[in-house]
Amino acid sequence: MKNSKYILMSALAAMALSATAQDFDNDPTLNIENKENKVKFTVGARFMADAALYNTEFTPLHSGATISDARIRTSMAYGQNWYFYADFGFGGGKFSQKNIFLQYSAKDGNDATHAVKVGYYNDPAGTMAAQTSLGAYHFISRPGMATSLGEGRELGATYKYSSNNVFLYQGVFTESAYNRIDAGYNGLTLSGRWLYRQASEANNAFHVGVSARYSKLGGGEEYTTKGATVLKKTLSLGQPLETYVDQNNRFSSCVLPWANEVIDLGAEALFVNPDFFIRAEYKHKIVTKHRDSYRIFIAQQDNIDGWGDPDVWENANKIRTNHFNGAYVEAGYKIFGKDYTYNKHDAVLNGLNGKSLEIVGRFNFTGLNDLTKGEYYSVGRDQYYAEGYMVDWPATGATSVGGGDIYSTTVGLNYAFNKYAQVMLNYTWHHINIDRLPHDKNVHSVQARVQFTF
Amino acid sequence: MNKQFVKIGILGLAAAFAMTSCSDEQQFTDYNKQAKDIDVQVLNPELAKVRDYVPLYAVIAHRGSTYWTPEETEASWRWAREMGADYLESDLQATKDGVVLSLHDDNLKRTTNIQSTFSDQVPNIRKAFYRSLTYEDGTPCNFSEEDIETQYNNDLGNYYSYYPRNYYYAELLMLDAGSWFNEDTPELARANFASTNDPLKETQDAWRTNPHAQVSYSNDLYISALADQIAYAEGKKLNRDSKGRRILPYHVKNSLKGKSLLEICGTAPSTTVEGKTYTAQSRYMDFLVYDFSNAYVNDPSDTGNRPGIYIEFKESWAQPKDMEARVYQELDKWGWNIITKPATDTEFYRNGKVNVGNTNGKVILQTFSFDAVDRAYQVYKGRIPMCYLLWTSSPAYATDIAYDTPTGVADFIKYMQDRGCHIIGPAISGAPNNYPEMNCPWQAYMVRRAGMINHPYSFDSQAQITKYMGYWNYGFTTEFDDLMKLTIPKTSVSTFPGESATWPIYMDGCFTNHSEMNLQYMLDNGMRCNAKLPNPFHPGTYYDNSQAPSTVPDAQETLKHIGY
Repeated sequence: MKNSKYILMSALAAMALSATAQDFDNDPTLNIENKENKVKFTVGARFMADAALYNTEFTPLHSGATISDARIRTSMAYGQNWYFYADFGFGGGKFSQKNIFLQYSAKDGNDATHAVKVGYYNDPAGTMAAQTSLGAYHFISRPGMATSLGEGRELGATYKYSSNNVFLYQGVFTESAYNRIDAGYNGLTLSGRWLYRQASEANNAFHVGVSARYSKLGGGEEYTTKGATVLKKTLSLGQPLETYVDQNNRFSSCVLPWANEVIDLGAEALFVNPDFFIRAEYKHKIVTKHRDSYRIFIAQQDNIDGWGDPDVWENANKIRTNHFNGAYVEAGYKIFGKDYTYNKHDAVLNGLNGKSLEIVGRFNFTGLNDLTKGEYYSVGRDQYYAEGYMVDWPATGATSVGGGDIYSTTVGLNYAFNKYAQVMLNYTWHHINIDRLPHDKNVHSVQARVQFTF
Repeated sequence: MNKQFVKIGILGLAAAFAMTSCSDEQQFTDYNKQAKDIDVQVLNPELAKVRDYVPLYAVIAHRGSTYWTPEETEASWRWAREMGADYLESDLQATKDGVVLSLHDDNLKRTTNIQSTFSDQVPNIRKAFYRSLTYEDGTPCNFSEEDIETQYNNDLGNYYSYYPRNYYYAELLMLDAGSWFNEDTPELARANFASTNDPLKETQDAWRTNPHAQVSYSNDLYISALADQIAYAEGKKLNRDSKGRRILPYHVKNSLKGKSLLEICGTAPSTTVEGKTYTAQSRYMDFLVYDFSNAYVNDPSDTGNRPGIYIEFKESWAQPKDMEARVYQELDKWGWNIITKPATDTEFYRNGKVNVGNTNGKVILQTFSFDAVDRAYQVYKGRIPMCYLLWTSSPAYATDIAYDTPTGVADFIKYMQDRGCHIIGPAISGAPNNYPEMNCPWQAYMVRRAGMINHPYSFDSQAQITKYMGYWNYGFTTEFDDLMKLTIPKTSVSTFPGESATWPIYMDGCFTNHSEMNLQYMLDNGMRCNAKLPNPFHPGTYYDNSQAPSTVPDAQETLKHIGY
């Protein structure tokens, strides 16, 4: 028994490879290796500058230029199995922490990789788009639905199994990396992304799969009304218009007070060959609500015009589960240059990796309207009314969420001078349907990016 | 490699230049531009016809005057009438027995001596009051003690601190509605504003000898009924007995004979208008009838002005749910309902006197309330001029406009037009009230584009008057001049130099506590007593108010003239 244990350990060590996590967009240029101690240290950097010109029908967006990303990226590998990565952003003149994680990975006898990862990084079910580094993205911005409905980085631990035909990636996370919450506890999230790969070669891959995420929101604020204090958790969803220059999300956003649980269900597909790629994704988000209504009701019984009956109060202050969804499809055609490649370890598309020219197109839909039939919206009041007309009492029982529906169509041209530098040009037409901006139906934007990655 | 960096740099710089050198047009939210660009619903011909019932540049005497007199009293409205105001303005509420009051505050603490008279509870004379009641034929009601006790407990249950709905109108007539003014503004105090009797003591003394005696009223200024306000507009004043108390007997309706208080209380009052019945909350009890037949006499100080009335429906929690219908019937009762009794007179001014009260413009309805707008539309259907009043706050409360932007204003304009409104009443900034500014040129322009009348509130200083009536832009050209700038020819009483004056005028009438200031400004600047005023609602035509009073009486002399 003792011998067989040694054999297994040796086999795993021999088979272990540094299964690269989704971190560097390309190989970093600065590598320091200490072979004696089996340590390899790398340093890289990334810089993106965007310029954007917007044309709106009514509500202005601020055209201009910005440094959309500037970051230092470091990694350290120990032996074949241990990998540590951290990067730090300075975009917008502000320091921000990006990814930081430690990963242990090993290969088994079937050439499949097992990886355990702990730290602060992207949620597995946070959309395929979010799993793809922006530096490797073929558009200036990720699709709007990924920003609105997807999740970003979270603090947690995951286990990933990646073979030629199967990709299973799941984990557990908390909400806040630093437990900086006013009230409540730090939330809990279970998340997974599961794919079947018909092919997973570097330049010939096809995968389909699903993702799911359950989050019990924890952090909230102490909400005090008439002397009673209850825990109020609020979820905000929204997206800018697929741009980093004016990041105002007024065209597509909503705030969901009393949010309690969030369930995300997703589906995705990706096909890539040397000259062409297409990928698509769908996400449905369910947000349940919870409120200590009875305690608030009791607190509001402070005069003879009080509500009198908890059911009356509840009816005037209704809350309900909300549903939102979004989808996108992206495609690219290489006019010349380096082939498109598939990142097997993260099940995403790689970026341009050498002198290339490509044309790309995308259609995105983000639906943040969850309207209740028969309700009236007053833009002057910025309020929905359950009765279908305005009434004096602020509590109307309306449950509509008018975050807006947005349809975005993008065409783009990307040119990589080499593996380090590229320029991008995108035109996007957004068609908008949002109650609070009745005079805004169409927004056009032309954006350009210069990007260096070392 | 170096060449490539140069290429990238050039491309980047070119892109940045292209982006930052674009048009200035979309760099910020420009309300002035938006107010011109967006669609605004225009008043339909039917509503426009009713709009034209209202005189241009109307001076609306806010609660009569809150400055010179105790507001919404006999003194304030008689004063406003004699000053030459076009409208006597008020707020409507109802007593427990359904009398429509002209009263602003939702409680009676500020403008009466209720705290020293009744304290913060159901009046302690209430049981005796029930015992004292008689039917219209004079026979005592003789409600049982058990019935009275039960009703009293009902009254306690419905009591809300100092709200007028707690009290019968007869009880409110025991209050002094003038002394507070003398105490608050001693520099403007007048002895006759205050009562000199003790109605509570008089009443209790009377009941010792006659348990069915009526309560004794105060002997000067009262909380007013809408009927009183109408009477003052008609050139009348209160009829008083030898001790200065108004004459207004009350009785229980004969039709309720045999019914207990509990039975009366159990039936929610209702009002029917044009076949549709509107029901009030059950806490109201329309069981008393007040005999107004001898309530008024011709006012010897009346000089012939006949102003209209400008009455406000309050939010739902301050009035019975049938209030709009109740007011319809009240107007009908006094011959002021133009739906049932259209006026034949069309001249707003005649022989130097205000004549609005004899025209179809005699009544203007107003409200801040969404509920009231809806109910008023059901009852009046846009057939009487109606004003929606604007207010804003942050966070926006109840009916406040949350987005006081061109989009928000256009939304409110459409909503209110769809509910029979003809007038928008925005707040204006400036001392002494320091309200939020809701009548900037772009806002006034949008109201004008909609074909609606603009009645801002409240013009209480010379600075406010001049700002909105001509001097905002000091005559400089603005993007709103196409609709707002008017050329006014001089008149025999105007004081500006030259043959005409051209100004932007951001109002079509004004609420004020200083009618004297507004009237004088309008005379000086040709806005009244002018046969050739450009009519902003009918471009190319003239509006003639040449028959309006050409002088403004002295405010204090007028108070003396009417007996204060």
